[in-house]
Amino acid sequence: MNKPLILTVEDDVPVRNLITTTLKTHGYRILLAANGEAAILEASSHNPDIILLDLGLPDMDGVEVIKKIRTWSNVPIIVISARSEDADKIEALDSGADDYLTKPFSVEELLARLRVTQRRLALMGTEAGQQTSVFTNGALKIDYAAGCVYLGGEELHLTPIEYKLLCLLSQNVGKVLTHTFITRNIWGSSWDNDIASLRVFMASLRKKLEKGPGKYQYIQTHIGIGYRMLRVGNDD
Amino acid sequence: MLAIKGSGINSSVAPREHVLVCLSSSPSNEKIIRNAARMAKAFGCKLTALYVQTPDSEQMDPADKERLKRNIRLAEQSGAEIVTTHGDDIALQIAEYARLSGVTKLVVGRSSSRRPHFWSGPTLTERLIDAAVNLDIYIIPDAAASEHYRQKRSPFSRSSRLSLRDLLVMAGILAACTLIGWLFLMLGFADANIITVYILGVLLTSILTKGYICSVIGSVLSVLLFGFFLIEPRLSFRAYAVGYPVTFVIMLAASILTGTLASKLKAHAKLSAQAAFRTQILFDTNRLLQKDQSGADILRTTGSQLSKLLNRTIVAYAVENDSLSKGFLFSQQADTAAGRLLCERERLVAKWVAENKRRAGATTDQFAAAECLYLAIRIGGKVYGVVGIPIEEEPLDPFAYSILLSILGEGALAMENKRNAQEKEEAAVLAKNEQLRANLLRAISHDLRTPLTSISGNADTLLNSFDMLDDATKRQMLTDIYNDGEWLTDLVENLLSITRLGDGTIKPSFSAQLPEDVIAEALKHIDRGGKEHVIRVDCGDELYLVQIDAKLIVQVIVNLVNNAIKYTPPGSEIWITVQKQEETAIVRVTDNGPGIPDPVKPRVFEMFFTGENKVSDSRRSLGLGLTLCRSIISLHGGELTLTDNQPHGCVFSFTLPRSKVDLNE
Repeated sequence: MNKPLILTVEDDVPVRNLITTTLKTHGYRILLAANGEAAILEASSHNPDIILLDLGLPDMDGVEVIKKIRTWSNVPIIVISARSEDADKIEALDSGADDYLTKPFSVEELLARLRVTQRRLALMGTEAGQQTSVFTNGALKIDYAAGCVYLGGEELHLTPIEYKLLCLLSQNVGKVLTHTFITRNIWGSSWDNDIASLRVFMASLRKKLEKGPGKYQYIQTHIGIGYRMLRVGNDD
Repeated sequence: MLAIKGSGINSSVAPREHVLVCLSSSPSNEKIIRNAARMAKAFGCKLTALYVQTPDSEQMDPADKERLKRNIRLAEQSGAEIVTTHGDDIALQIAEYARLSGVTKLVVGRSSSRRPHFWSGPTLTERLIDAAVNLDIYIIPDAAASEHYRQKRSPFSRSSRLSLRDLLVMAGILAACTLIGWLFLMLGFADANIITVYILGVLLTSILTKGYICSVIGSVLSVLLFGFFLIEPRLSFRAYAVGYPVTFVIMLAASILTGTLASKLKAHAKLSAQAAFRTQILFDTNRLLQKDQSGADILRTTGSQLSKLLNRTIVAYAVENDSLSKGFLFSQQADTAAGRLLCERERLVAKWVAENKRRAGATTDQFAAAECLYLAIRIGGKVYGVVGIPIEEEPLDPFAYSILLSILGEGALAMENKRNAQEKEEAAVLAKNEQLRANLLRAISHDLRTPLTSISGNADTLLNSFDMLDDATKRQMLTDIYNDGEWLTDLVENLLSITRLGDGTIKPSFSAQLPEDVIAEALKHIDRGGKEHVIRVDCGDELYLVQIDAKLIVQVIVNLVNNAIKYTPPGSEIWITVQKQEETAIVRVTDNGPGIPDPVKPRVFEMFFTGENKVSDSRRSLGLGLTLCRSIISLHGGELTLTDNQPHGCVFSFTLPRSKVDLNE
């Protein structure tokens, strides 16, 4: 009975059926909601492990649902939206969603996102309580107290901005961070130039990280949205 | 006889009327202009107002000048084209102009049709009747006021211009002549020599002084001097010889004629120079206006030509969408008056002019306290700009004013032409877009049916006869459904991009992006068939940004890579490379497939073109991808080109603008 419970909020029946069938065949337990009201009710009464939330709901804005749920719960929320609506995705992420899926999505993509989120949950479970000052992810090790970063045992030399970025990403590992969120945290502002700078710093940081052993992709770019640090090294 | 359709033939059948009215400074001229305007309106024909500038015009008194300007303005408001010619003989000038411009009707006032005195020569009207045989002449009765007015133009009004300098020059010359004459007398030369010296003196006087009043006085004086000093008995006006009175009269006539001729010649030379200058400026304006590309250029030309003409600083405002642009200054020399001429108060006057389509500012009734006289650059009811002319001490003379109006008219015409051309172009683009959209819709509705039929048909069969089908068939049917679904997804992505591009409502959003991020994103979206191909990416080691709409460029790369996958056999290699250049980054999508034959190359970018050599699996294509790619690339200021790969295959390459970024450390 250790199967994760997934709340699927989707008003379109065929898509809901698709998600339901896929999740069932992969051993997830399922809750269904066809609108925002039902979603909030289900979330509060059944306490799901992960929520899959369609942004275009008949009764209320998906972002409103996220905001309401976030008032009492930190449950991971994966937003589902059509591709042309970047602004909605960013708004949803900034309101507290963890990840997003773009329609039309493939079944594999959906499963991969769920795995990423599950790993994050597992990690949160083990690290909860113990205030760790060292972060490890694959060959990457960050010693927050000493302000040092190691890659495969060797110290990695980062500029102050790169270090700040790495810390921010590692503290939110598995979560998609929007450009606005990152620039506000690093520079305190969010101008176009900040975002352009961010791209350059992120690219150089990623280059430094990807030179390490295993050549893992630690940082994922989401064009037009933001960045995410991935948990690496276990299964995929 | 095909030419019968031509308008030239038509016009000879029913000659177009053309009304000409003569401008003058007379108060009754106003009535004549109004009558002519009414007539032109009734005939629905062209109205021209002609002002003949004579040597006398120079010496007009200020009230007359003002009245003339008002009359010119009235004519302009009545829709007349203002033309200025110059010459001595008004009737001849009018007749010539009428003949050359195809004028059919001439409107004149009655005052000019009556002889003021019984000894006057034929009146203007009489001479006109002689000079222009084919002209209808309309004589408008005018009020008695004009009689009174005529009095003021006695020759003595000119004598007010007689300056002390001119008198001194004349006295000096005559003294010298007398001295030379006395010398000749001593040497025993004949009287004829002395008379010639005096005539020479009068000639010199008329050249060196203004107007011909001096030369007339000089003529009389020279006769008197000759009679007094050089004829026996000396120092008396009496003459012993019998023939002398005749000599005196002939000498007087000769010198008066010589003097007036010379001064007229001088006046003519001046007028010709002015006319040449005017023609030059108008010609230059015309030439420059034709070269101008934009409304701003036209305004600049108009302003600088006016400044050249009037030798003053000119203020100009463009009027766009009923609002006034910021003011521009055009001046011949560095001027510090900018602040004064562009201040808010002056601007308000210009604004008033633009809104009311009437002139205002200095020397007019409206805003007379303003620094400048403001005139609208307009055609009909449409104002294209406002021009301000600083009126310092001297108001504009009617000559300059008429050229000023011509230049403004030229400018307005050029602006209207430009606007019309632009509107036509926009309409053409719109029509083309409509055409494209219609083609697109037709193609889509046709091409959507095929995959949809396949999807619903396959699904239907699976639903109804699931148990009767063997596993391999089921798998095949499911694969077909999946492939068709994928194809529809691609199509929708491209259509979305097209709406982003073509709509005009959604502007592409440019931002600084890393090329490798964009390519990585694109690779997430390529077809599943890509797994059978080897795709390699090389972005170089250097970090730099390109200024692009990420979604659109992702779409370009997806389309190019999908194309390469579609038209090359499995196992082929596809390279995506980005190379940094000075101002741009060049992106190449290369494959080592069979390549595209030369005759087909130019056609691959056409909408709805699909390769003739369909690859075995006959995957359908809307032929939209490359057209879209090309539009997207040109939106980024680049060009999508197709070249051959060696030894075989093809290379699609395009450039993207690089973006400069200041790193916030």
